[in-house]
Amino acid sequence: MSSPTGEVYRIDWLPGTDVLHGTCHCGREHTSQDPIEMWEWMLAHPNGHSQQGSEPQGNTS
Amino acid sequence: MPHTTAFARNQWYVAAYSHEVGRELLGRTILGEPLVFYRTQDEGTPVALHDRCVHRRFPLSESGLDGDRIVCGYHGFTYDTTGACVYVPGQKRIPRTARVASYPVVEQDSLIWVWIGDAALADHDTIPRAKHLDSPGWTTVRGMEPIDADYGLLVDNLLDLSHETYLHGGYIGTPEVAETPITTEVDEGAGIVRVSRHMDDAECPPFYAKSTGIKGRITRWQDIEYHAPCLYLLHSRIAPVGVLPEADGSDPNGFHTEITYAITPSTDGKVYDFWMVSRDWATDDAEVTEFLRGNNHTVVMQDVDALNLLQKTLGSERSGYQELSINIDTGGLAARRILARLVEEGDKPVEKVL
Repeated sequence: MSSPTGEVYRIDWLPGTDVLHGTCHCGREHTSQDPIEMWEWMLAHPNGHSQQGSEPQGNTS
Repeated sequence: MPHTTAFARNQWYVAAYSHEVGRELLGRTILGEPLVFYRTQDEGTPVALHDRCVHRRFPLSESGLDGDRIVCGYHGFTYDTTGACVYVPGQKRIPRTARVASYPVVEQDSLIWVWIGDAALADHDTIPRAKHLDSPGWTTVRGMEPIDADYGLLVDNLLDLSHETYLHGGYIGTPEVAETPITTEVDEGAGIVRVSRHMDDAECPPFYAKSTGIKGRITRWQDIEYHAPCLYLLHSRIAPVGVLPEADGSDPNGFHTEITYAITPSTDGKVYDFWMVSRDWATDDAEVTEFLRGNNHTVVMQDVDALNLLQKTLGSERSGYQELSINIDTGGLAARRILARLVEEGDKPVEKVL
């Protein structure tokens, strides 16, 4: 283990739906119905964070 | 081909419970390395050495102790607590290479942790805590089951609790577990995956109904914290429906259970499953303790049987088989990825890790 970096990725499965809502540590958001696609988007940071399907929010980095 | 997840070196692993390590030699194989454990006579300090005599590879764990020294049960090669050979039979000269590796060991929270990797990198401050295992106000039942399955399968199993509904139905599983959406968080630098499932109005599993005395439906929270690669904490809270913690954070009407697992890879395709269940309610009630011990053992054995079967099945698959992941797997996928990163970091030469 190493010490925390404060880089936290979060994925909420929206209640009552099949939709996953992801928030990158940079604040960008993304929705998906496939966890693999969601993690690919998340980990590609910052690549693809401004493409269709993601909603810019917060700071970019 | 057996299904295997690569091992992450340069990490701490739980090797044993404190009570397992004493003046009898204990052998455990961790990340493919055979180790022998014991305690020193006066201080009671735990010691971990490589479990093979340098002479003819006899297992030292099948040998004996003379004070703080292990005397090989085959020809009497004798090792001190640092692994240095201090006696060989029939001659005065002890070859310079007569030494077995010693391993950094830390005893904390009633667990014996061992560092597998470059000893110079071992920092005991990085060991994740599980204070409830050794704190006043908590009672713990525990056990350990070796599983003939890749440790990655146990990580998968524990990160997705929707399996409780099916594999553990009638024990800890109810329909709401599989039906309730989860929230997943990954703290990249700390190597922690958190998976939360909060059920506002759920059936009370027989397991909890009997042991807590709650009648009717419950609020059930499951908050997982997986400190990769070894320590898994499941903070469980149940209470009658609508009963929440107080505004000041206290929670006198909730029943808190800390479910702890240590996932320690043994050899390829084998894992030690250390399981512990700690509670802050009915702590002095021996009947509850025995009930929880029996029920949890049953639940663990359901997992053991399933993972043994899964490992065999995967081993008979042709290479390149496909999996299908859905929303319930979000946390498990995160754990796999963090493990892959730790494996990669552990394989790097030391100078690059630093």
